[in-house]
Amino acid sequence: MSTPAANFSEREFVIVQVSRLVEDKKIYWVGGGGEPLSSVLLAKRTNMPNLQYLTEDGVVGPEAVVPFDPLMTMISSRANYRALQWSTMNYAADLAHLGYVDYGILATLQVDRYGNVNSTVVGKYEGGEGRRFGGPGGADSIAALAWRTILVTDQQKRKFVDRVDFISSPGFLDGPGSREKHGLPPGTGPWRVYTPWAMFGYDTDCQLMLQAIAPYVTVEQVLDEMSFKPKMAKKIEILEPPTEEELLILRTQIDVGGQVTDRGRWVELRDGKYCFAG
Amino acid sequence: MRILEEGKGEYLKVDPDSYRAYVRDHKPHEMVSKLMSEKEAVEKLVHDGDYFAYDCNYFQRGPASLIREIIRQRKKNLWLCGKFTYVACAMLVEAGCADRIDIGFIGFGPWIARAVRENRCKIYEYSNAIMTLRLKAGAMGLPFLPARSFGGTDGFPHSGCKIVEDPYSKQPVLLAPALNPDVAIIHVHQADEYGNARVFGTGITHQECALASKRVIVSAEEIVSTDEIRRDPGRTSIPHFAVDAVVHAPFGAYPGTVQGYYASDPEGVVEAMGAMFRGDFKAYLEKHVYSVNSHEEYLAKVVGTKKMAEIRRRETIKEGYGA
Repeated sequence: MSTPAANFSEREFVIVQVSRLVEDKKIYWVGGGGEPLSSVLLAKRTNMPNLQYLTEDGVVGPEAVVPFDPLMTMISSRANYRALQWSTMNYAADLAHLGYVDYGILATLQVDRYGNVNSTVVGKYEGGEGRRFGGPGGADSIAALAWRTILVTDQQKRKFVDRVDFISSPGFLDGPGSREKHGLPPGTGPWRVYTPWAMFGYDTDCQLMLQAIAPYVTVEQVLDEMSFKPKMAKKIEILEPPTEEELLILRTQIDVGGQVTDRGRWVELRDGKYCFAG
Repeated sequence: MRILEEGKGEYLKVDPDSYRAYVRDHKPHEMVSKLMSEKEAVEKLVHDGDYFAYDCNYFQRGPASLIREIIRQRKKNLWLCGKFTYVACAMLVEAGCADRIDIGFIGFGPWIARAVRENRCKIYEYSNAIMTLRLKAGAMGLPFLPARSFGGTDGFPHSGCKIVEDPYSKQPVLLAPALNPDVAIIHVHQADEYGNARVFGTGITHQECALASKRVIVSAEEIVSTDEIRRDPGRTSIPHFAVDAVVHAPFGAYPGTVQGYYASDPEGVVEAMGAMFRGDFKAYLEKHVYSVNSHEEYLAKVVGTKKMAEIRRRETIKEGYGA
């Protein structure tokens, strides 16, 4: 049934990994679009039909029709098809305040050792010197209020930094106790970070810890694409490749137009080993 | 209450008492017809220097036609409520209409850092949900509301929020200042001539936005009778007394979607996004704003009947959207 795929892109790999992490019978708040939404839609179509998700326009438990038109991942009839409830943004934030949101999934521009997220500016904030991005949007509420937050980012030195240039959405801020000190509810925070090359968790001191790598890279390659050395799990696991079945669903039912997976390197199985193509 | 941390960002003055008095003295308490053209509505109700909120955005059931009219009338010095938005903030700043933004999320690109560097625009930092909470406080007649997010971020120091010791639990809690915009524009599916308005499907903060704002323009895809409103009162999202002008604006969200009525126009979306990412709105504004005198003319000359038929046809899902 589940045949490991011989060809896939690293972006497809990360969507599949996050979809496998998704738990059935839980409530997710996902960032509108990109890898987070694709992962949840894939999980719903593989073996977790009972998971529900929210987006920040206050939709509860939709059964989205894909593909979406460009940008139309919220407040559109296709994204919000057959929902259990339609509401607005303050309601989504209320649900998260109440503790209904088990998991949040966010794609991010830059992340640091404590899981702090930057989506505001790369470089200096003051005076418009740095390169400006959109701001936290709905991610701040997800990162502050979901019980567990899953982050998705690229494995690149400039994206994995010791300290983000600007904390748009909170990770563990400065370490244990720091979130509570700034008014965030206890027992929440970053839980996993996924990249196309690796999976990280957090140590008890709230610091990023490498736990697993993709079958087509080495630990050294992962560490070379980070600006700091993370903590290391006792044993670094190797992540399982996507199956043919997962890719079929992802390609034909979710990312039909390649809106999400149209970038990233291609991976192939050569002589029994996964490696980058070309 | 003990203040633990304070943002240093400038914010619109919080004054629930004067807002109450404004509601008493200026809001239309009786049912009077408010149908008018977009030109008249914007001339009368959008003033230079206003704090200006629009709900949703240029692509998603937003008041795109009214945003274009504001630019056409060359309003000045607006302070924008930049939540859940892509290109509208960029268009308004680049067109010279706005010089301050409270940012939850905006469509970025080279324009924003350039505008900040050249002192054409001041920015203040929030999140989408903190901005909608500020409007909720404004819509409740309260001076602030607490939230358990946004504290600890680097946006906080650039906001008007504070962290205080909760007098009940003694734990730190964030307070967001109420927001009562001078003017708000909201695009809806249906409204009667008095401003009783219906939004179908999800939204961002249309009800709070309408109740929190001093002057409110509603643009509607369809003008319906008050009997139709009374037939299903549970669907009234905005009551007439919050509304100062009703503009009939079919395809008013173009190039965006109005869920259940028409799909977005991907070409139109990409054209606007392209202008934003290039940081050059000149050609876009010329074609989509200045080359016409009204939304009606825009639909006839720029959009065209073929495109309108196509986006209506592509919106295949109707359930829940008024039918």
